[in-house]
Amino acid sequence: MADEYKQITNFDRLIHEPSRLAIMAVLSACESADFTFLLNATGLSKGNLSAHLSKLRDAGYVSIIKGFRGNYPHTTCALTKDGHRAFDAYRKQYLALAQHLKK
Amino acid sequence: MTTQPDIDALIRKTRQYEFVDGLRDLQMAAIMAIMGAFAWFSLTLARMHWYVRLILYLKDTFGSWARWINGLVYLLILFAVLGGSLWIMRVLRRKWLWRESGWVKPVRWQVPRRITVLSAVIMLGGIVLGLILLSAGKVDMSFVLRMLWTATGWGFGYTLIGMGREIGLIRYVWLGAFGGLASTAVLFLPLTFGQTAIVIYGAWTLALGISGAIVLRRASTAIRQANHG
Repeated sequence: MADEYKQITNFDRLIHEPSRLAIMAVLSACESADFTFLLNATGLSKGNLSAHLSKLRDAGYVSIIKGFRGNYPHTTCALTKDGHRAFDAYRKQYLALAQHLKK
Repeated sequence: MTTQPDIDALIRKTRQYEFVDGLRDLQMAAIMAIMGAFAWFSLTLARMHWYVRLILYLKDTFGSWARWINGLVYLLILFAVLGGSLWIMRVLRRKWLWRESGWVKPVRWQVPRRITVLSAVIMLGGIVLGLILLSAGKVDMSFVLRMLWTATGWGFGYTLIGMGREIGLIRYVWLGAFGGLASTAVLFLPLTFGQTAIVIYGAWTLALGISGAIVLRRASTAIRQANHG
């Protein structure tokens, strides 16, 4: 049991938060996605999504490029190398724990 | 969001996004049509006197490398079709299909390496099988030549099946299975090498074109309903 607790406490807390985990999962499956796609895919509100993206950017997991498409602002997000690494590590840890709990 | 999201479902949905409007199928159909057209041209042009005269003139003027000029033209056309189709897809998605649902730049290779390697092995295996049967005296040379196209069909079919299973799009599994079976059927028809190429490319064009058209229609209906709803 102590081992399981240790694994849970070892989780990357930044990614473990459900909204940020959803953002990371979506971005891990593509090269980049825009703000609208992330809104639709995660079901978060604009304010929430923006706040979570800022946290992930500050941690160096996500890069955000703000530009214009025509006359409209357009924000594109992508996982950085660190982001990919952190997400892969989190997934491995999560799957290992899930398998351990199944036993 | 308070509960843990289904990571696999999110990843799968994002990877499927590129294929849910049917444009990829239509692009593949266009490429298959071009390849079929090349095969047809190669068969008919070789019999046209003006074409033979043109190639001989080019060879005499520029040297023996000019014989490959038609291959270069084929390559240029293929790249033009590829580039053009990508541009059309980008415009259609930006202005219509993905306008409300958002823009995604997909990963470069949706097909995992093991599937690509296995499809190459299947292709080579088919060719080797043909050669073994030929050396055993069971088949003639035309069978081996047809086998080249059949094996290509098997390889591409397997790639589609693998991709369909990987990203959870069942239509690619059906398309791959259909293509594999059609490629096998062609092997037993009394066709020449060139005719086999045309039939196989034609079958792929038809299958991918129908699949793409159906999916695109479905996507356009969904967009219309979302706009009116």
